[in-house]
Amino acid sequence: MNAIEISQVTKTFGQLKAVNNLSLAVPQGSIYGFIGPNGSGKTTTIRMIMNILYPDAGTIKIMGQTISGSRLEGVGYLPEERGLYKKMKVKELLQFHGQLKNGQHISKEITYWLEKFELTAWTNKKVETLSKGMSQKIQFIATIIDRPKIIILDEPFSGLDPVNAEIIKSAILELQSQGSTIIFSTHDMHMAQRMCDYIFMIYKGEKVLDGTPTSIQDKYGTDTLHLQTEMGAKALTGIEGIDKVNDYGQMQEVRIKQGADTQQILAALLNKTRITKFEITKPSLHDIFIRIARPEIKEEPQHA
Amino acid sequence: MRKILILALREFNTAVRTRSFIIGLVIAPVLMFGSIFAINIFKDKVNIDDKKIVVIDHTGLLAQSLIEAAEMRNRNEIFDTETKEQVKPAYLFEIATPDTVNPFQQKLELSDKIRNKKLHAFIEIGPDVIHPGENAEASKIKYYSENSLMDDIRGWINNPLNNRIRQLRITELNLDAAQVQNLFHWHNAEGLGLVSNDAKTGNIEEAKESSVVETIFIPYFLLMLMFMIVLLSAVPLLSAVMEEKIERIAEVLLGSVTPFQFLMGKVLGGISISLAGSAIYLIGGAVLATRTGYVDSLPWHVIPWFIVYMLLNVVMIGSIMAALGSACNDNKDAQSLQFPAMLPIILPMFLMMPVIQDPLSSFSTGLSLFPLFTPMLMILRLASPVTIPLWQPFAGLAGVILFTVLFVWLGGKIFRTFILLQGKRPSLPNLIRYAFRK
Repeated sequence: MNAIEISQVTKTFGQLKAVNNLSLAVPQGSIYGFIGPNGSGKTTTIRMIMNILYPDAGTIKIMGQTISGSRLEGVGYLPEERGLYKKMKVKELLQFHGQLKNGQHISKEITYWLEKFELTAWTNKKVETLSKGMSQKIQFIATIIDRPKIIILDEPFSGLDPVNAEIIKSAILELQSQGSTIIFSTHDMHMAQRMCDYIFMIYKGEKVLDGTPTSIQDKYGTDTLHLQTEMGAKALTGIEGIDKVNDYGQMQEVRIKQGADTQQILAALLNKTRITKFEITKPSLHDIFIRIARPEIKEEPQHA
Repeated sequence: MRKILILALREFNTAVRTRSFIIGLVIAPVLMFGSIFAINIFKDKVNIDDKKIVVIDHTGLLAQSLIEAAEMRNRNEIFDTETKEQVKPAYLFEIATPDTVNPFQQKLELSDKIRNKKLHAFIEIGPDVIHPGENAEASKIKYYSENSLMDDIRGWINNPLNNRIRQLRITELNLDAAQVQNLFHWHNAEGLGLVSNDAKTGNIEEAKESSVVETIFIPYFLLMLMFMIVLLSAVPLLSAVMEEKIERIAEVLLGSVTPFQFLMGKVLGGISISLAGSAIYLIGGAVLATRTGYVDSLPWHVIPWFIVYMLLNVVMIGSIMAALGSACNDNKDAQSLQFPAMLPIILPMFLMMPVIQDPLSSFSTGLSLFPLFTPMLMILRLASPVTIPLWQPFAGLAGVILFTVLFVWLGGKIFRTFILLQGKRPSLPNLIRYAFRK
């Protein structure tokens, strides 16, 4: 049984079709990444799964049950825009959320998670005294305090430094290992590619990608080169068969034209410069994202 | 229901810790009752400096009566009977010869003396005071002081002057003073309630004397109490919900509760605050009434009505306040919406006096049956000494229940839509559109 099943769901706000005829199945125990440009319909989809917004058409099932008017039990939700009661103490706040979610062994869970997130010293401090990173970790704990079977996280890593992002990531993986199904939306393609079992991309309210990261990359074939040369991006100027270049300074990600011969490109480069890396590979999720969302997001300047 | 209770409990705990709640619940009654005590304590603590008053007596026959009456008063009435300490000022009257050439100059000089605190007041007795004629100005007794309207002496001089005038007229007419005195014996009608049967003994009991406490103070107290309770418990829901929306707490909560549970949690929190507040006020009022000997005047039969109406009023106003709070994006929005939403509790305060004066009039009855005003005005009428037909509080209750259900329903619809909408102005067309949208 799938944890979540979305069938032909449509949601309109006035003239704007925020989500159009969307279908999606999230297998139990998986990590499902929602990606898409800003305003593409990710948050609307998540809000409909959470029954905060009602779809105009279509059905959404959670654990095989069509969602109704009551709030979902066993589903943890971390919205994109989130806040905490600033005057409450950390423990008091987590207890409040735990009780609201009908959680078991709340005190034990609070102790466990605060310790794991290195926040034990802040247990009896008011929320207003916490830093932004600490607040985000508390918000995360409040979401999963009852160890829900389904966890929906809207941009859980936004604004976090790498250390805190790593802590959240390890918590997500821990929860998955204990059987939770996790959906999270993100703009961090590398994180999505590394963490997710499945990735779903929504663009202008419609599903444009859905599958495992490998299957998505396979669809685009091996049309990408990762290069490191002594001349850098300048070496690529005037070489036949190059479609686009993403210049990262120390390395270049090159998209080649359909039917272009990589050996000829290699030979042309060798005539110009010394090559330290020449890798024929599949496009990254980041590149795929940009290819789809090109009208919305400007690509890096082209050098080719 | 469990989730609603958890939300309500948090709301209650937060509210009772706020400064406004403590000020409203504790300081306000302290100030209210404290001022009564203060008045009692300080009523005898008056300025006991001598009050010098000059009398310009154009008749030449009346000023002496003031001097004699003042001397008697200064001997007998200005000292505490037990401690013999002076507790009131002495009145010292001084006769001034009227300046017939330049009367205004004389009055100006006396006024300046008052301004310079050398004199308290001066009195001008017109020449025709004993036999008033066509010249109205000449028949007046004029009292000049800096605050003549509130000056006790202005009232005090009436008795000695009028007694003397009456005495002079009787003498002129050669009448027997004792017989004439009878003519002037004045009666005041005594205000009583109604005669009733004692439920236990069956004896007919004489009606009780009507008091200001029963007629005005108790209904006024209950009206004020309901106003303050709604102000403390329902009105703050607007800013509480708005803050949760602005600080993005609302959507976090909506992950665990439905919008209706969210709204009801807030309203139930308001109810718990109102119950706590009213319990403190009512117990305090009962204790005060017991201590001051007015316990028999308390309308105990009104208390259940008060509780029911108050709770419905809190739910009715609270639902709308929470819904409007969800529509606000900043304090400016909140300020523009709060006052109109408070009209159902503000307007009854303005309509209070005509209802107290005649609780059975069509005006009072009609207004108290208008559901938005019913909780406050029906309580005002029920707490008055008159008997309100029994069907009226019940009819009022039905109307209030109907309006409460309607307001909760409309509030829920507005709340559900607006709580996640950022930047949309809570204009009346928008509110109506979302309230009645399917």
